[in-house]
Amino acid sequence: MPMAKKTKPKASRSQAKGSAARQSARPGSAHQRAYTILDYRLEKPRFDLRQVKDGDTVRYEVSGKLSGPVPPIRDSKYLNKQQCIEIYRWMLLNRKMEAVLENLYKQGKVVGGVYFGLGQEACSCASAFALKPEEWLGPLIRNQGSLLVRGFSARDVMMQYMAKAGSPTKGRDASSHFGDIHKRNVVAPISTLGDLIPVLAGVALGARLQEKNIAVMTYIGDGGQSTGVTYEGLNFAAVQNLGLVLFVENNLWGYSTPADMQFRVKDLAERAIAYGIPGIIVDGTDACQVYDAAHEACERARRGEGPTLIEAKMMRMKGHAIHDAAEYVPKPLFEYWKKRDPIVRFEDYLVRVKKWLTSEENEKIVAGVDAELDADREFAVASPMPEAETAAGGAYCEGGCHEIEPKYAMPKFGTSKAARLKRSEAAVHLK
Amino acid sequence: MPNLTYLEAIRQGIWEEMERDPTVFCIGEDIGIYGGAFKVTDGFIDHFGPERVIDTPIAESAIVGAAFGAALTGMRPVAEFQFMDFIGCAFNQITNMVAKAHYRWGAPAPLVIRGPSGGNVHGGPFHSQNPEMYFVHTPGLKVVCPATAYDAKGLIKAAIRDNNPVIFFEHKYLYRRIKEDVPADDYIVPLGKARIAREGRDLSIITYAAMVHVALEAAELLSKEGMELEILDLRTLSPLDRKAIAETVRKTNKVIVLHEDVRTGGIAGEVGAIIHEEAFDSLDGPIVRLTALDTPVPFSPPQEEYFLPKVSDVVREARKLMAY
Repeated sequence: MPMAKKTKPKASRSQAKGSAARQSARPGSAHQRAYTILDYRLEKPRFDLRQVKDGDTVRYEVSGKLSGPVPPIRDSKYLNKQQCIEIYRWMLLNRKMEAVLENLYKQGKVVGGVYFGLGQEACSCASAFALKPEEWLGPLIRNQGSLLVRGFSARDVMMQYMAKAGSPTKGRDASSHFGDIHKRNVVAPISTLGDLIPVLAGVALGARLQEKNIAVMTYIGDGGQSTGVTYEGLNFAAVQNLGLVLFVENNLWGYSTPADMQFRVKDLAERAIAYGIPGIIVDGTDACQVYDAAHEACERARRGEGPTLIEAKMMRMKGHAIHDAAEYVPKPLFEYWKKRDPIVRFEDYLVRVKKWLTSEENEKIVAGVDAELDADREFAVASPMPEAETAAGGAYCEGGCHEIEPKYAMPKFGTSKAARLKRSEAAVHLK
Repeated sequence: MPNLTYLEAIRQGIWEEMERDPTVFCIGEDIGIYGGAFKVTDGFIDHFGPERVIDTPIAESAIVGAAFGAALTGMRPVAEFQFMDFIGCAFNQITNMVAKAHYRWGAPAPLVIRGPSGGNVHGGPFHSQNPEMYFVHTPGLKVVCPATAYDAKGLIKAAIRDNNPVIFFEHKYLYRRIKEDVPADDYIVPLGKARIAREGRDLSIITYAAMVHVALEAAELLSKEGMELEILDLRTLSPLDRKAIAETVRKTNKVIVLHEDVRTGGIAGEVGAIIHEEAFDSLDGPIVRLTALDTPVPFSPPQEEYFLPKVSDVVREARKLMAY
């Protein structure tokens, strides 16, 4: 089995030790240039996509090596048998839940569209699995699996799509647009891309002010990484040495535009070099690689050593949303990635390669997931729509609806007695 | 009672809140060792330390995003914008991420975004704007525009303690031009309550921020002619004090709405609509709007003077409306 070269990220090491978490605002030895991009993949596909004229139409054409053998799952350095099985179950639940959503849509029960993470379940589930309960996650639209791992149920997602009164947003927002600041520590995404990045960095900042270095995780796509706020957020996290774990999910398509038309670098992980932070590449269809990279990045974050950029390579196996048949995607690409299905391969790894699951045990897991989804679907379908008047109110936090308290600990700050409130007027801009 | 400028009052207000509540911290560009472009946070880093007075890259979306993230963990960030003209850079974070959070998913965002706005300092199109109405138009945000040093201190303290995102527009023309005795102790001015800046019986001027002083000057002049203007200082544009607006109209029956912001889409239109809804029967004349022109803020002094409403404009319009 070919192994990626095991090199330690030549990342800057913080000077902060122990409880001096707040002092770690500055990377220690940033003088050494870190040009190493770790690559955990066992296969490094390289395609080129270009627009070609075909009679009266223009279409995308793919070239490159599309016939190689399917790589094995790479053994995890950290996951044990039980954890692998757990991640596998989350991935199954993720995929099967989305199949239920598709059916609900076809039955006319969904309000609006449905978004899928088909082919990306390993990336969503294994990444979120690396976080501790007290840490935070900000999912994107295709990370419905991450929400399940963070403790939301499939019925929550279903009710969001059906705009039910009992949905996490009580009917006020759709799809994966929900969060929880109390228990599950999930920041609700908004539709524009990259905006979660500074927010999650800010969560890590808030925790650090409360003397706790935590890992915070969010995602951006090959499309979304073009936005300015992506740069602003990640650069801020880098400068402030905040424990942000950013998954760049390179699924090759931003709606209908291929990655080749979004950026010029070969690998988006190379961008890490420009931020002065470690960059890692993983096969996004391999749950073990995803977890290992996420775990290492989270551990760095917890040590106060700052952010990590992880590029996960995979393909979006459906259209942008349910309305989009993705006919612009060249068929050979679908065929190539279908052979690299994250669930089929992980199942084979657990059952045949590692023999951690017998066929009977596997069938039991599948049946358990199906039963859970059946119950959730029934509950969600039967639950009521919101009363119309509940549209009003709630834009403001008032009347004691929330107590604002530090999540981790009341910050303890000293003040300098010598420095007093200033009265002097210095020279300033625009008198 | 110390005699403080408007700027010193804001500085004292933030300082006191940081002293009383360790969850309050400042974040922004050049606010630390330099003390901010206008020196509002001068000396803060020495007293409170660099952990609580955080200098950032020039990245307004990151500043607001980070402030929001920290607020989600129960902190109360005070984010400085070097000029409120630059708030457009963070428009999406403010209006989509922050403002909608409580309505969508029940996440309160106790943060303040503050900075200098307003003209009459020859700052040109990008250092003189009044961008408050973009945010008045966005449910979920509160918008504060203090006119006096006393209010500036009381309102910034109320804004920091509020559980909602507050956009705090400091008027840079007032920073060092006005001074008054400000209590050294702890007090707040509640958000959403307007103030009668001058009592009168003949005509009401509804205004805010620097234009309060223009209105007061005009009122002094007109008083000599026997005309007594009532001046209502809105103090906060969101929430608007509908009751105070209706009350002054019922008292004087004639209204000028005066603001430094451009005419179209300015708060005058909203105030006019509220008067129609609440006190239509009390009107004895048309609601008059006195505003800046519908142009960017021009740079050259004669042009800027022409652009902004002046004391002479108020005097002229008040005489005309009185005769109506």
